[in-house]
Amino acid sequence: MDALEPRKIIGIYHLSKRYGDRVVLRDVNLQVGNGEFVFLVGPSGAGKSTLLRMIYMDETPNEGQVVVGSFVSTSLKHRQIPHLRRKIGIIFQDFKLIEDRDVFENVAVAMRVVGLPNAEIKKRVIQVLTQVGLYHKRYDRPVTLSGGEQQRVAIARAIVNNPEILLADEPTGNLDPEVTKEILQIILRINSSGTAVLMATHNHELVRNYAQRIVFLRDGTIEEDLRLGLAAFTKDRPELSDPALRTLGTTRGPVGPVEERR
Amino acid sequence: MHQALFLVSEAFTTLGRHKAVTFLSIVIMSLTLLVLAVFLLATDNVLTFLDRARREMTVFVYVKDDVPVRIVQDHYNRLLRMDEVETVMFISKEQAMAEFREELGEERSMLEVLETNPLPASFRVTLKKPYREKAAIERFAASVRDATIVEEVSYGKEFIEQFSAVSRGFLYVDLGLGLIVILSSVFIISNTVRLTIMSRQKSIEVLKLVGATNRFITTPFVVEGAFQAGVASVVSLGLLFGIFLLMKGILPDLSFLEPGKIALYVVACILLGSIGSFASLRRHLRL
Repeated sequence: MDALEPRKIIGIYHLSKRYGDRVVLRDVNLQVGNGEFVFLVGPSGAGKSTLLRMIYMDETPNEGQVVVGSFVSTSLKHRQIPHLRRKIGIIFQDFKLIEDRDVFENVAVAMRVVGLPNAEIKKRVIQVLTQVGLYHKRYDRPVTLSGGEQQRVAIARAIVNNPEILLADEPTGNLDPEVTKEILQIILRINSSGTAVLMATHNHELVRNYAQRIVFLRDGTIEEDLRLGLAAFTKDRPELSDPALRTLGTTRGPVGPVEERR
Repeated sequence: MHQALFLVSEAFTTLGRHKAVTFLSIVIMSLTLLVLAVFLLATDNVLTFLDRARREMTVFVYVKDDVPVRIVQDHYNRLLRMDEVETVMFISKEQAMAEFREELGEERSMLEVLETNPLPASFRVTLKKPYREKAAIERFAASVRDATIVEEVSYGKEFIEQFSAVSRGFLYVDLGLGLIVILSSVFIISNTVRLTIMSRQKSIEVLKLVGATNRFITTPFVVEGAFQAGVASVVSLGLLFGIFLLMKGILPDLSFLEPGKIALYVVACILLGSIGSFASLRRHLRL
């Protein structure tokens, strides 16, 4: 498989992943277009986090292939992985912020690894911190921020290099409903500027209210891939009725079970 | 270039941010390196002592009586030209007797019974450093013994044999101990570095997620490791000097490490710290 055609940014082909005897992903096929917003849903242990980790090449497939832009997992050298990750923004349920750096540095670090000049870093970091509403907290340490603010720092870090893809692994799992809405609004704005978003979630409300495309994952396989269209944000859609969402499960636990994480 | 500068400054910023961990690491490294430094000082002094003892090894080439002065002079020159020879001193029969008289001290009166001087004239030969060992001394003795003017060659064969055995034994023991001390130091330092790495695992994870290269992640750790080991080496030398001053009262001949050796020790410690950091990081993080 060569690099993807222009309108696809992620391609997953016949992907399988096992940890010992336990199969976590089984013959998964999924393509995500440029600027698309895809919800990845399924119960705990369905393989959502593993699938996301395959995309940013934190895990290697046992079978099949992952293509991200011009990066192909089967021919990717280990030293190329950092270059792939600079094309992807990633946010997590636990924010993954560096505790001994202030907000500014937590965001700037994504640009520093690229080797950009200080003036450019300063300008862009101020821009994204303003965008997520945290410019006034730029010298604060993460520990002094609320959960929602910490997630906004993580989002700022994820988008500071203008990535083509944003991967979100249960980003609202630790947040209350009001903050969840705020975070989703920010992610939707990022998506509307052309960044493809692939978001793993347990949150019924989010999926019901904002889904354009939902990929249902269960026991490591894609059970259903619903394309609802951009104008489909309505509670009246029969395809998003409660029975259809039953596969989401009801747990709002951590991002995937521990054993799924490695 | 600005990224390299950033990574170096990052190392020092991080050291400042984690003052307690940095302080603890330097203390552990200093004590570990002190053991190494004490070992080096002891080895250095024993080697100096052995070298001095070797320098005092003299080959006595006794000259037959009644050899004309011209021939003695020719032989003196011949000895001086030999590759092995460092110094040659001619001791006439009269000088030999005078020395002997001096050695006897109050008992010198016993010499008065002698009608003639029985002591032979001799050349006292010291050999160059590479030839101050048993086999080379034996070869040299054999090569000068055949000359017609030579009565006998003496070099304290038994002493040299015992000295060689002791020197060899010391070297083996010293090498063995040195290996244990160095391996222990490497082990303790790499584990100290590992503790630092573990305390910052989350930062490393974040750096990997945002696309940091291995060089970007490892450089600050290597700089930190080198800095900590450098400081620890200086601290250990300070402690060693304190121990040296205390020991000097008991062992007046004890000498401290020469400046060249001190510089070599500090450089070796810095290398040990930086390589230790790099190796620990690679092993621990699967970079």
